[in-house]
Amino acid sequence: MDFFERQDKARRNTKLLVFYFSLAVLSLILAVNIAVSLIFTGFTAANSIDEPSIGWSRSELLFWVTIGTLAVILIGSVFKSLQLARGGSAVAELLDGRLINSNTSDADERKVLNVVEEMSIASGVPVPQVYVLDSEAGINAFAAGHSASDAAISVTRGCMKMLSRDELQGVIGHEFSHILNGDMRVNLRLMGLVFGILCLTVIGRILIRTSGRKNPLPLLGLALIIIGWAGVFFGRLIQAAVSRQREVLADASAVQFTRNPSGLAGALKKIGGLTYGSRINSPHAEEASHLFFADGLGDSLFATHPPLVERIRALDPSFDGGFPRVIQERPSDVSPAPGATQLSRPPQIPGRPLVQAEGDRFAAPFISQHAVIANIGQATTQHLRYAVDFHHAIPPALEAASRDPLGAGALVCAFLLASEPSTRRKQLEDLDRATSEAIRDEIMRVWPDTQSMPPQAKIPLVDLALPALRRLSRQQFEQFRAATETLVASNTETDLFVYMLRKIVVRHLETYFFPEQRRVTQFYALRPLAPDCGVLLSATAYAGQENATKAYAAFGQGAESLSRAARSEIPWLPPDQCDLSHIDAALARLSQAVPQIKKNVLNACAQTVVADGVIQEGEAELLRAIADTLDCPVPPFVQPHEEAGAPVLGQD
Amino acid sequence: MGISLIFIGVVILLGFFVLIFVIGGYNALVTLRNRYKNAYSQIDVQLKRRYDLIPNLVETAKGYLQHERGTLEAVILARNAAVTANTRAARNPGDASAMKEISSAESALSGVMSRLFALAEAYPNLKANTTMLSLMEELTSTENKVSFARQAYNDAIMIYNTRREVFPSNVIATTFNFGPAELFVIEKPEQKEAPKVAF
Repeated sequence: MDFFERQDKARRNTKLLVFYFSLAVLSLILAVNIAVSLIFTGFTAANSIDEPSIGWSRSELLFWVTIGTLAVILIGSVFKSLQLARGGSAVAELLDGRLINSNTSDADERKVLNVVEEMSIASGVPVPQVYVLDSEAGINAFAAGHSASDAAISVTRGCMKMLSRDELQGVIGHEFSHILNGDMRVNLRLMGLVFGILCLTVIGRILIRTSGRKNPLPLLGLALIIIGWAGVFFGRLIQAAVSRQREVLADASAVQFTRNPSGLAGALKKIGGLTYGSRINSPHAEEASHLFFADGLGDSLFATHPPLVERIRALDPSFDGGFPRVIQERPSDVSPAPGATQLSRPPQIPGRPLVQAEGDRFAAPFISQHAVIANIGQATTQHLRYAVDFHHAIPPALEAASRDPLGAGALVCAFLLASEPSTRRKQLEDLDRATSEAIRDEIMRVWPDTQSMPPQAKIPLVDLALPALRRLSRQQFEQFRAATETLVASNTETDLFVYMLRKIVVRHLETYFFPEQRRVTQFYALRPLAPDCGVLLSATAYAGQENATKAYAAFGQGAESLSRAARSEIPWLPPDQCDLSHIDAALARLSQAVPQIKKNVLNACAQTVVADGVIQEGEAELLRAIADTLDCPVPPFVQPHEEAGAPVLGQD
Repeated sequence: MGISLIFIGVVILLGFFVLIFVIGGYNALVTLRNRYKNAYSQIDVQLKRRYDLIPNLVETAKGYLQHERGTLEAVILARNAAVTANTRAARNPGDASAMKEISSAESALSGVMSRLFALAEAYPNLKANTTMLSLMEELTSTENKVSFARQAYNDAIMIYNTRREVFPSNVIATTFNFGPAELFVIEKPEQKEAPKVAF
């Protein structure tokens, strides 16, 4: 099952969920109607006949009760969904999470951040916000959000303090698979729906307080409370059913990431050995129980997760069911602390050789377009190892910059500067008019270091810078966006990759800062998107080839299969009709397509890129950048390791 | 009885809406308060970095500035006062008296630091010292980061305070005791206008 199928599956799950909930809501309405008619008929009979109880006929009464019940559930759901619209950080804050500062000096917090950052680089998603639940002593964690752009990972204090680095990696790997599998969106939808049903009991509680002789309302209130709780009961059952199967999948994916079942198993065993296990004490724990890494509530009927012993046995068949006693102190880490490795930094970014000169080409037979698609949303041990090495290889100055809001902004700006001195001078002059000198100083401070970075380091660095950039105030973000726009506009020969790099940053941040502008899926067929595919493929072809003839040949490779799928011609466009603004519009439309269409489009792009048998370093990264704007995280292209048994990017 | 029942039904539905509205308003205020507290932690990190750098700087400068003991001591004193003030402010960001204290302590520190930098100009040997150079470079950069983070904090405070004051959320704010939050302003002695660090 590849990334796109899993996305489709998640979408189907959401639909199924909505269907189940419609059923639940329907039966709730029925139950409320029955309760109302029973209570009022009873009262009418008890009262004298010449005092009609409401003055409504029965059908009128039922009509208004139905409308009222629907309104309450709907308003409750919409209210909760709006509250959660800010994405993962909203859920984390609901549970009293504290945002970990990206440049924290606390050793435990640093460890969690490092593990999360490595996992992000390995899977090609932007680094999420990381929260810690300070008041929770148990071992638990969750990921929440609508997409990778606004995802947040939260860990409990117990999780941060008691797990070793390997175990933590297992837990974080599990959470990342929720991000990659599209589970998070389903989970947030669930929270909204269950809350709507819960609102019935709120109304019931108001009703029960009303007083008065022969007043039927307290009785109705009691009925509403009972019906509401029955609704929540079924809601929880649905929640548990959907959640349990996703958890099994997430455990499997975590092992696939880390290739280290003992880490995840160790974490689960510690939960079993701990008196308060994975319990979450927050009053909101129930609402969010299906988000967590392990059961947060501790009752078996609504278990949102498979039993602990079962999960451990799946990872470690020799497990005897006896949990170890957990010592409350932090275990000594086998892997050295991140600070200790600073002196022995490898001199260069691992994976691929540094590019010696601009336009240096080398054959890259190990990237086949099939491998590109197969790897989307699917990090492996090798990617993780690459990420760990990469993390160590970043120059300290750049690493420090990427963790501070001002530095991170300067870093992104530095990537947008042209290598040609006169153009760069013009860019900086234009920038000076828009911003202050301090910004320019910071940009120039990081610029020399960015020059020594190979192209494949740019996307990971930008991903690393995102958490710090999310800490800008909204005004600062708007200024930053304007500054990057100035830099791109005043560069006369902006290449496609640099342009896409800016787009990656701005797009992820816009999703975070302006959650109300979220995109919705609009395209279910490829045909209406054919002109957009033409723009994208033509531009990709021009970017990788020296002349138009070669570009046309490359375009033909990509367009062939796509035009068959679209059952319409993919137009080949002259350069002026596929310039940056056209690409922008095309990508905006393509990003609103269903996953399977994106898969076809990305496949065609990959074919265009590999058509001539050579992949420029920039081309491979361009492909990653395009995939990112379509919300398809591509892990970094790594050289197949000599080690046997791990052919990551081989032919399939 | 018929009319009164409908009336009660409408009142109950209204009560439900009001309740939802109050919960929403309350949560929004809590979120905004968390946001400015988080924004302060960003300042805190950079300030601490600065406080760590200053003793190193003074140590390096000591050998060259034998006759300027007073200035060096003033720097250390101002730095220590700022450390205390920051600890208090970090514990309770936005609190009026804590923020006033850190504002004045930071203003004082900036004042003596700029005096020290001006003094250093007169000592070519000191200016040529590589440790001194990199420390000064580092301090300027940290200073930039502080004022950038301060701006983010002040933006967050403004949004919170506005929300607190406008109708109808001001009713919720007074009911649940959401107090006003204080800005973090640093007054530079020689230049009234603080350097604007903006993208």
